[in-house]
Amino acid sequence: MKLLTMTTALALAGSAALAAERTLDIGVSDALTGGAAVYGLPQANAVQMAAEEINASGGLKVGDDTYMLNVIAYDDEANPTGASNAVRKLIDRDGVKFILGFCCSGATGAVASFIGNEDAVMLVGNAAERSITTRGISNLTRTRPPADYTGAAAGTFVADKGHKRVAVLGALDVGFYASYVDAFEKELNAAGGEIITREAFGLKDRDMTPQLTKIREQNPDAILVVGYVEPAAFIYRQAVELGIDVPRYGFTSGSEEQFLRVASSEQMEGVWDLRPTELTLLSATETGIAYHANYSARFGIAPSPSSPYAYDQTYALKHAIEAAGTVEDTAAVAAALRELPVPPEVVMQYLPVDGKMFDVNGQAYTSNGAFQWQDGNWVFVQDLPSDAAAYSAFLSTLD
Amino acid sequence: MIEILQQIINGMAIGGVYVLIALGLTTVFGILGIAHFAHGSVSMFGGYLTFFLMTSQGLPLAVAILVALATGFVLGLLIELLAYRPVRSASHINAFIVALGLTMMVEGLNLEFFGHEQVVIPTDFNRVFDIGGVTIPELRLYVILAAALLIATMTIFVEKTKTGQAIRAVAENRDAAILMGVNVNTIPLVVFAISTMLGVCAGIMVGALFAIAPGIGEGLVIKGFAVLILGGLGSIPGAVIGGLVLGITEALAAGFLSSAYKDVIAFVVMITVLLVRPQGLMGKA
Repeated sequence: MKLLTMTTALALAGSAALAAERTLDIGVSDALTGGAAVYGLPQANAVQMAAEEINASGGLKVGDDTYMLNVIAYDDEANPTGASNAVRKLIDRDGVKFILGFCCSGATGAVASFIGNEDAVMLVGNAAERSITTRGISNLTRTRPPADYTGAAAGTFVADKGHKRVAVLGALDVGFYASYVDAFEKELNAAGGEIITREAFGLKDRDMTPQLTKIREQNPDAILVVGYVEPAAFIYRQAVELGIDVPRYGFTSGSEEQFLRVASSEQMEGVWDLRPTELTLLSATETGIAYHANYSARFGIAPSPSSPYAYDQTYALKHAIEAAGTVEDTAAVAAALRELPVPPEVVMQYLPVDGKMFDVNGQAYTSNGAFQWQDGNWVFVQDLPSDAAAYSAFLSTLD
Repeated sequence: MIEILQQIINGMAIGGVYVLIALGLTTVFGILGIAHFAHGSVSMFGGYLTFFLMTSQGLPLAVAILVALATGFVLGLLIELLAYRPVRSASHINAFIVALGLTMMVEGLNLEFFGHEQVVIPTDFNRVFDIGGVTIPELRLYVILAAALLIATMTIFVEKTKTGQAIRAVAENRDAAILMGVNVNTIPLVVFAISTMLGVCAGIMVGALFAIAPGIGEGLVIKGFAVLILGGLGSIPGAVIGGLVLGITEALAAGFLSSAYKDVIAFVVMITVLLVRPQGLMGKA
């Protein structure tokens, strides 16, 4: 009996040695400081939180091995050079094969230009420039839909509201904001409306009264604001200060907390945000509510609406690695990502294409939604047109 | 016409901030010949401190401003005593290097103490006044009035007080001022204290109107030097006119042409003025 017990113990010990617990480094390149940190820092936090959750629930199961995730995050300041350096450091120095984050299009585009030649998988979050998923990069996927997918829906919504003369004020030298406005204009024109002026601002500008004064003189029916949260918040505030009393629509994806750092709730009242149906507490699913609570408890601040793109990346990666059965063969993991159904842990409400989270271009889609600022909160008002399959087919026609 | 007037009002608020920055720079440069690059970072320190006192210590805005001004006064004295005085008799390049080093130091301290987040100084000035179709937000009105008050006070101080006369005497001819019994060791202290307090005021205004964040001080000091050159080195009226011209030109350029080129257009105006008057608008030939 004693011999049997010893033999069993030895066998178990041998099995445990073979099925070792290992550490898998995953990288994050994102804007942790600077103007874009309103998007990048919450994304990096979201990856960290997802990794902690995965570790707490037993880690990644790859064959007989279990992997605990270790997150290595670098600040790319949303800068193309910074992002290229961060990713090179992750790949060359840290030996990382799976890189997440990527809140901003300029930085993401720079990395996308060379990631196809690397033994790595790139998972893009909030960056919305369309061309990121039109280049046929097999080891790249993105959780956020492109800006023009949402811009077209926004144009239809604003036209349905009866607005014929819309003034645009935006960060129009940023490609994805311009493409949002182009798609918006196409739908507005189709409904008999027009954009009467396109005024621009730089991402570091905080005084938009000159442009707003010019817009005020043209008596628009409505204003469309596209840009980062902080300049957008200044625009909403300064529009009120200049006595501009027309509906204000936007494409910003900022949280209540982020807007209230700049503008009062009264100044924000009635503003619309026309964007993908990202995390908004009042309309979140059970997973979203749990994410909001856990994130708030973990970081002492509410998550930004777009941060779950990065959280969802991490779970998509987990399932893809487990499906591929390898942490070494990045091509197999990239292929598994393309075949992945929407994982149950994700926060965003994805619209699968052919039953899969990512389409053939590596692009995921959420529905689009109209949110309105009411009494200090973003309130989900209605869904906007969101034909993921049709847009996916269109995306496949682009180079 | 209303639109032009509105743009001028828009430009006057930021122009007032430029004036305060330039006044601080021009007094230091006029008296001591020092290009005090750290002025922008010091100014941001004042804004950050006010924000910190209000949000973390719960002080009302007026009290926070007073504490920030007092801190600015002491900081100005320390900057002169510890940073610039030791190199006063050395070559100009030494003061230049000290100025650059000081800029990095103050920026670093701002980051260390206040973090990298953008902050906006909260105020309750949310009313909007409409005068003949021209709208003036309450906060902007107060910024313009405060800048005007500070300019007037500074002018009276320099023109009408004994200390002001001593400052002008040192600026005109240091050796003659010594012969006339002016304490030339005290004057730089006074100048730096005043200059830093003006910078703190500008920082508070920027923080309330727009935002304070790392890097904003650098942009502000560049604009301050542009105003200095435009108005004429060492000239207080020049700093006032130059600051307003720059602020209003930026607003008009952004409103009527393109915001992308507002800085370019403002600097083109500056270069054009200098082609006609190389000494600046109010500088001596």
